[in-house]
Amino acid sequence: MSIDLKLSRFNRIYRPSEALEGKIIIKTQSSISHYGIRLTFKGSVNMQVRGGSAGVVESLYGVIKPIPILNRTIEVKPSGKIASGTTEIPFSVTLRQKGENLEKFYETFHGANISIQYLVTVDVTRGYLHKSLSTTMEFIVESDKADLLQRPIPPEMVIFYITQDTQRHSLLPELKSGGFRVMGKISSQCSLAGPISGELTVETSAVPIHSIDIQLFRVESILLGEKIATETSLIQTTQATDGDVCHNLTIPIYVILPRLLTCPTTFAGPFSIEFKVAIVISFQSDLSQLHKKTDSGTPKLWLAMETLPLELVRTK
Amino acid sequence: MEFRPRNYTDERESHALPRLRADAHPLSATPSPPLPQGDVVESGNSDFFDPLRGTDNEAKVESPDPDNLSNAVDHHPTKEWTSFRRLLMQRFPVTKMVSMSSMPDFLMRSAKSHEKSSTIMHLEELDDPQKFADEGVKVITWQEYVSRLHELKDEINRSWLAEDRVTSLKLSIKAAKLLMDTSVSEFYPTLFVLVTDIMDMLGELVWQRIKRKAEFTEDGALLCNLAENFKASDICSDAKETCNNWFNKIGVVQELLPRIYLELAISPCWRFLLDQPEDSLWRLVMMIRGLGDPVASAYCRLYMAHCAQKLISHDIGYLITCMNDIRVILMKILSANESTHGNVKHNKKLQVSLMEPTIEYIMKYIFNGLSQGQVSEVLAELGLMKNQQDFGSVSCVSVVLHHLLKELPIEIVSSNALQMLHLIEFSKDYSFDQHMNYRLLGFRLNERKTSVDLVNAVLDKIIQVVAQYDSLDEYLKVVDAYADLILQNHLGDLLNTILEGISQRARNKGVTEAEMPSLQSLLGKILSHFKCLEDVLCLNYFPEILDLMFGSSQDAVFLHILNLATRNDHIRDPLCIQLLFEISRTLHDNIEAKNVKDGDSQVAHSISRFVHMVDYGAEMEHQLAFLVDCRGAFGRFNELKETLVHSSNSLAIQALKCAKKHLSLVKACITFSEITIPSISAQRKQFDLFLETAEVAFLVGLVSHSDGLIDSAVGCLQTLNITDGLQTPAEVEGLVSSIRKLCGFLVMVPGNLSKAGTHFPNNLFSLISSHSWFEPKMKTQIFSSILLLLTSLAQKSLPYHVDTQIPGNDLLFCGDSSYKQELVSLTKLVLENLLCAIQQEPSRAARGAMALEACNCIVSSFMVNDELLSVCLNLIETAKSGLSDQDKYLRSTIELVKKKSQTPSTATVSVSV
Repeated sequence: MSIDLKLSRFNRIYRPSEALEGKIIIKTQSSISHYGIRLTFKGSVNMQVRGGSAGVVESLYGVIKPIPILNRTIEVKPSGKIASGTTEIPFSVTLRQKGENLEKFYETFHGANISIQYLVTVDVTRGYLHKSLSTTMEFIVESDKADLLQRPIPPEMVIFYITQDTQRHSLLPELKSGGFRVMGKISSQCSLAGPISGELTVETSAVPIHSIDIQLFRVESILLGEKIATETSLIQTTQATDGDVCHNLTIPIYVILPRLLTCPTTFAGPFSIEFKVAIVISFQSDLSQLHKKTDSGTPKLWLAMETLPLELVRTK
Repeated sequence: MEFRPRNYTDERESHALPRLRADAHPLSATPSPPLPQGDVVESGNSDFFDPLRGTDNEAKVESPDPDNLSNAVDHHPTKEWTSFRRLLMQRFPVTKMVSMSSMPDFLMRSAKSHEKSSTIMHLEELDDPQKFADEGVKVITWQEYVSRLHELKDEINRSWLAEDRVTSLKLSIKAAKLLMDTSVSEFYPTLFVLVTDIMDMLGELVWQRIKRKAEFTEDGALLCNLAENFKASDICSDAKETCNNWFNKIGVVQELLPRIYLELAISPCWRFLLDQPEDSLWRLVMMIRGLGDPVASAYCRLYMAHCAQKLISHDIGYLITCMNDIRVILMKILSANESTHGNVKHNKKLQVSLMEPTIEYIMKYIFNGLSQGQVSEVLAELGLMKNQQDFGSVSCVSVVLHHLLKELPIEIVSSNALQMLHLIEFSKDYSFDQHMNYRLLGFRLNERKTSVDLVNAVLDKIIQVVAQYDSLDEYLKVVDAYADLILQNHLGDLLNTILEGISQRARNKGVTEAEMPSLQSLLGKILSHFKCLEDVLCLNYFPEILDLMFGSSQDAVFLHILNLATRNDHIRDPLCIQLLFEISRTLHDNIEAKNVKDGDSQVAHSISRFVHMVDYGAEMEHQLAFLVDCRGAFGRFNELKETLVHSSNSLAIQALKCAKKHLSLVKACITFSEITIPSISAQRKQFDLFLETAEVAFLVGLVSHSDGLIDSAVGCLQTLNITDGLQTPAEVEGLVSSIRKLCGFLVMVPGNLSKAGTHFPNNLFSLISSHSWFEPKMKTQIFSSILLLLTSLAQKSLPYHVDTQIPGNDLLFCGDSSYKQELVSLTKLVLENLLCAIQQEPSRAARGAMALEACNCIVSSFMVNDELLSVCLNLIETAKSGLSDQDKYLRSTIELVKKKSQTPSTATVSVSV
């Protein structure tokens, strides 16, 4: 006896105004009777605050009460019997129901402290004597096309300069004295469908460059009473240059955004999700070999970086 | 037994074929109308496999390894790519570094630590991280490395087939990461070939998967058939989604280099998403700039050039950008070096040499099938042309320039030759030797006829350039390339200038072995150009330069000179003869020094030809003296000694024709021959030469000489044995025919008082019959000839005489009954042996043919009496048992026997037939 859910879309992405279609597949060797087949749709924002960014007191609270977005149960079939063999029960449910919604349909997001998740569960209740059949599947919600900004987002770029003087942490003496200058531009606003684009040029560098990486960070903020707990964490590192590249050659920045780990930049009352992008230059240094295994928290002597805010938007 | 009387004059007339006048000489070269063959050949060219293009040929045989066969359906690796990959691996052979254990200790240690830091780490990771930790540093052989990569490829394929595509991708990423490490230096090209093989396989698998998704539903029902030039809009969203997923998965690979390689590998899949994938290609071109390592980035560009061919479009702009980027990198390498010391320079040279194949390949692709207009655009794009008309005012990296020169269409090269020179002049760096670029330009200019003015201008410049060279090697390498231009345009002054240049430099620094090939090539060109040797020898410095040669190059040039000299009819100039003689002697001695067993037959042949050509005209004594010198100098060559004998014999005849006073010379010639012949090792040759000399001696009236020579010839047969080069039937037949020739000659040779009239036939016969190794067939033929000889001798008048006062046996023994008796008794003996010999032949068919030959001989030699007729009938019976009734020889022989036997027993013959 098994139960399965199959959604109509291969990628399981649905918009709130669309119908979520699919079928329930039940396989059984003998016919079984049941007290009803129900589908439950649940969506919520789950938040937690870990030690570190929050104070000691706050961390005691642990998990914060989730914010429900959607909670609906539909009876697909009233009580009855399921014949032996494979039974397929199709369903079609529009997620957004007027006047019924608890909260805005935020897009699916899997973060470190905040997770926005939508689940569909099917239950076949069979009374006390039998175990009920049940399975759950996640589906992914993206913003409704109607809710999106009508205007196409302009490719907004910011220009950055990275030199020994723009660094707020201490650098290797040879870097400080020899100097370097890397300039370029990078998206400050970016569609989730497209890449983070831009370009960079190494103009001078006395010390050979080991690598230039583009790091993508998420900034999750949660309102805790009076305070806001904010934590910044690294999502993805993408190397833009490897080794000591030629100076004065324009090198593209092209970073594909990982799905689920990103969502449109969101400012809700109780929480917010923002993103940042950092250009990190690591210079060739014997020290870097020695410190390979230590944590990445503190800025290293052989690194130079520039961190810029990045607004992610959903476009049509 | 009675000899059949013959009237040779009548017989000749009655048997002669009617003669008809022919319009044309059968061997004369009549100008036949030109056949339209050229076109046929042209059109058939595509199928025709030129065996000289060995590389392609072999590549074809070798190319599809089993994995490629099973997977590559749509995108076969192109033939060029396959052969290029093979050449790439050959160029940087790995075999010499197969085992690290063969290295000395101190190197061993450094190699170990080096290995540990790079290749081993990767491999051990691939293999088993735990093992690595346990065993510590392990030395790996390159073969092991290669076989592990093959295993990796198999594993990727296996996981894919097991629907575990994530593992396939993960392993492919690991494979691609191997290319990040260029510290393996010479091994890098091989590594590149192996890894890109894996990349190609993955690309093909992904392509097939998405194509299948686009063409079939999940249940296997057909959605559509994709045309060759499908559009992105033809693709269903599921397939697009899958395709996007692949690009996304690859897009999150952190390291730049594997990310680029993987995207290139699946780049054909862009077509499922985009109608114009060129933008993505351009992005990758730019992204490759992010690779700091020169070698890694160059090979990455190479892989891009390879992958981009699978895209439909044929834009080459991206390749030009690649080439420009490579040039920038090279310039960085080259300029950074100036302050550094030797070891670093060596490394950089290695880097450049590793990069060179990528430049070569990309350049080839850029110029593949471009129109002239496009070529100028490309040149402008490469920054070599400031405006459309003028280029060469800028400099380039010499290794790039070299491959550019190689690939440029010849029209462009020849019309811009001066600019090219300029470009070469200003492109001087250690990435490629400047003089080799000058040299290449020279060779390119030879490809097509260039205008005289331009040639003059170019050569002026080149002479200026090479005048600066101290090194003879560089000087030679450059002038060698331009020699043809100089020669074709008849610029004698320039030729003198370069010869002078060579001799000056050689005098200063001497000539080394390394310079020999260039010198040989140059001299070869000069020699090929001139029609006669005298003109070459007139060139200033030529003899001097000739003296500089040594070793095998010297031999080659000398041989060339010999061949040039013997191209004409005669060699008369004494100086020339002297020079050639010296040259020949050197060649001869060199072969001796090398102690080659058979010597060099080509050299022997050329020298023989030279000796043959030498003609002192009326100064026959000189000629003979020359022959004597030759015999002394070239003792090694048998072929040459034969020539000497022939020459001296023909000299004798020549002297004879002149006037009587040369008789002593004639004698000297014959004596020369007589002495020379025994030194020839082959008895077989000796026999022929003795016979020839005997004929000459006989012709000039030196009968006793002649007799002696004939005895020597027969003596040769004595010592001749079956092992002496008589293995083939042709050789056996040759010997038999020589002996028959002797028999023919003996008809004229008179007996004398001291010797019996049948002295020579008798000797010949007893020799042949006493030697068991003469096969029955040979014996039959020889005995038949002797029978015919004896018959001739028995005639009242001999069939032919020599034109002197030497009397034949017919006059000497006219009516001498004892002579006749001698003949008859010898004849009987020979006949007996003949019949005996036939019976010894084991093969029936051969025996039959021999019987017929004997039968014919008997019937035409003797009056047929009963006794002989029975012999003949026996022979015919023997023939019948071995041959078919329809055999023409058999039938005509029976006819002849019938006709010749006028006795009543003819009836028996007809009955028996």
